[in-house]
Amino acid sequence: MNFDWSVVGAHRDALAAATGTTVLLTVTTMAIAVPCGIVVASLRLYAWAPLRAIATAYVELFRNLPLILVVYWAFYVLPIATDLRLSPFATGIAALALNVTAYNAETFRAGIGSIRRGQLEAAMALGMSRTQAVRRIVLPQAVRRILPVLASTWVSLFKDTSLVSVIAVTELAYVAMQIRAQTFRVLEMLTAMAAIYWLLGYPQAKLVDWIQRRYAVTE
Amino acid sequence: MTFDLSVITDHWRFLAYGIGVTVALAAASGAASLALGFVVALARLFGPRWAKHAVVLYIDSMRAVPVLVVMVWTFFALPILTGLTMRPFAAALIGLTVHLAAYAAEIYRAGIESVRPGQTRASLALGMSRAQILRRIVLPQALVRMLPAFGSLLSVTIKDTAIASVIAVPELMRQSETLAGQSFQPIEVYSFAMLAYFLILFPVTRGVDRLYRHVAHLGRS
Repeated sequence: MNFDWSVVGAHRDALAAATGTTVLLTVTTMAIAVPCGIVVASLRLYAWAPLRAIATAYVELFRNLPLILVVYWAFYVLPIATDLRLSPFATGIAALALNVTAYNAETFRAGIGSIRRGQLEAAMALGMSRTQAVRRIVLPQAVRRILPVLASTWVSLFKDTSLVSVIAVTELAYVAMQIRAQTFRVLEMLTAMAAIYWLLGYPQAKLVDWIQRRYAVTE
Repeated sequence: MTFDLSVITDHWRFLAYGIGVTVALAAASGAASLALGFVVALARLFGPRWAKHAVVLYIDSMRAVPVLVVMVWTFFALPILTGLTMRPFAAALIGLTVHLAAYAAEIYRAGIESVRPGQTRASLALGMSRAQILRRIVLPQALVRMLPAFGSLLSVTIKDTAIASVIAVPELMRQSETLAGQSFQPIEVYSFAMLAYFLILFPVTRGVDRLYRHVAHLGRS
């Protein structure tokens, strides 16, 4: 066995750009999925019954599908079904956002649901409107419970961005595997890919642990 | 847009084979990661100091690296190191197990730590050995509390088997991709795959919820 690790250094610019794309995918998806998750959760909690049923069906569907299938579906079916022509990057964002929005909606719903009804009722008995009671009493407490879950969803999302490599989005997994195919330095490139993910992901996992300790709710 | 289901009915054997491989891969990697995860959790809770550090590094690394990367590395890079070639199914099984065992270990640990230490001290005072306490006092209560978490791990396992399509394991995702490419009917094929995955996964998530409601009171102490 002879290894030639110089191949990693020779492609450092491509790897750095790809790492940037991975981070950009994560940030953009979360920026879309948080507000959309709030909307879906509100629909499930407060909306008119048919809308509530649609929101529930959406969440249950996407929680019960493998993300990689959603990625393929968004790539092959979405353009035919909707006549939209999206770049692979935008398609990847769409697939990831559809998936993460469903999880975020559940997180928000569970966070708000975990605040006992009595608190809302007490606030309304004190003369607050429903909106005031939700904004001043329920939400501040729910945020403490939602934030740690969002943080671990963030790390899952960071890892799941690797799945959009199957539709040729030039993120880290795709670029590393392309270089592997061109140079035949299989072990070196795949190890470098794993190492880059590890270097970025490990601090995030530790940060999640810290957030969970910091916001731990004791009752 | 026309919807022609004959592509599904004509190739139902091909797709059914994929479903079979998906179920087999999920069952095998689920069982293997439960076993490996238990050993890892024991090492973290009761092992010597060096073992604890090693195990924490392993668990946090698996939380940091995508399962796709673990699987691709196992399939393409590991054989270069060991000189042994692997079939895609074996590589997917190893990759999934190594990844999911870390999550299983965290579930075991949280469950075991959720049993109040006073119970362990009381059992020690009664003259039980550490192994006896774990088996007779701690695990019976902890296992019930772990059930919902293991249920969601099972649904994650089934979903993650789809990633094995990347290393050409002929499971449902891969079979669908092949058929969609050959038939030029991606809408029908991918919609079928969505329905199939949903029908497999939805009863699992619902069943786990129901099971939990039936056994939740048993875990109280």
